[in-house]
Amino acid sequence: MRRANVIQKETEQIVTVEDLTGVFESIASTQVAKIKNKVELSKGFFNLLWKRYSSIRIDPNSRITNRDDNKKWDRKVFVIISAEAGLSGDIDQRLIEAMLQNYDKSTTDIIVLGSHGANQLSQRGIPFIRYFQVPVSESYIDVSPVIQAIASYSQVTIYYEEYVSLGVQDIKTIDLISSVRAMSEEADTDEDIITDKDTIFEPSLEEIADQMEMTMMTLAFSQVILESSLAQDASRFNAMAMAKKRASEMVTSYNLEYHRAKRSESDRRLREVMVSLKKKKQAARR
Amino acid sequence: MSHKDDDAVQLTVIARSPFHIYYEGPAKRVSATNKVGPFDILPEHADFFSVMSPGDVVIETESDTMQFSISNGIIGVRDNEVMIFANM
Repeated sequence: MRRANVIQKETEQIVTVEDLTGVFESIASTQVAKIKNKVELSKGFFNLLWKRYSSIRIDPNSRITNRDDNKKWDRKVFVIISAEAGLSGDIDQRLIEAMLQNYDKSTTDIIVLGSHGANQLSQRGIPFIRYFQVPVSESYIDVSPVIQAIASYSQVTIYYEEYVSLGVQDIKTIDLISSVRAMSEEADTDEDIITDKDTIFEPSLEEIADQMEMTMMTLAFSQVILESSLAQDASRFNAMAMAKKRASEMVTSYNLEYHRAKRSESDRRLREVMVSLKKKKQAARR
Repeated sequence: MSHKDDDAVQLTVIARSPFHIYYEGPAKRVSATNKVGPFDILPEHADFFSVMSPGDVVIETESDTMQFSISNGIIGVRDNEVMIFANM
């Protein structure tokens, strides 16, 4: 049996781990609340922009995509949105595994957002052509470098993590271009179509539509990033909650072991005293 | 249209960025800047869409005037409803 003072030292260390995971757990839960609010605001913004866009749209089928003359028609790109740091459970691993099921090196390039995903790919020896930090800030998400990087591909599939609830996070994929195009096709809103005959456009209708489309593409992408952040924070919260629970269980078992060791030490001392008393008595009798 | 009528009609303004609501409610005037220069939107303004230039947006309500800076944006005016999509 280990000595009581050794067990006490280890217990103290685990208590520190328990406290730390508790702090991480509450940080993750605050982050979840904060991002949820951002997602709601961003969705509201998108809907309003969509309302205006749907009234000025020209021909959605020939727009939104097909704006890059140097399109790589024979290649597609997978964009993986992973966490920027570790401690987020196994969610990034699941993301990579889901992507690998459809990955064909000869036809597909990989762009990865987040250092955790990039590390996971490197460890598995899977090449990626670009790496970006997850572009999240307090006031806006600048996804323009990523949009620029994917503009030349005819098919863009995004692998991301979806927040279902605090306990459940799923791996999802969307085809970015098709989804924006689909949204445009579904734009059967109550807005009347307006033209430059009845409305003043500064600059031209075409340029404004271009700007709106780029904004919507950016917003759609930003929403996916937000959704991923939400899922990662929820996963981190779960991982921390689990670690905290494990640490608590360990503290309980260490305390038990400590008390046993203490009792056994005092028993041993008592035995030694008794033995020495016995020896003394025997010596006195002689 | 008489001056009295102008007073009665108000703009309904929604000014937002992706993660922030600057203002939502009635207003008497909205001022901003585009490539052509500064412009004002008053009630009964013609339907109007524009890409806004960096600068200040001013929204004047019955009781207050608020101002915020934007780096880019789109403004859409339709039937006295003004939507400002800023900092995208």
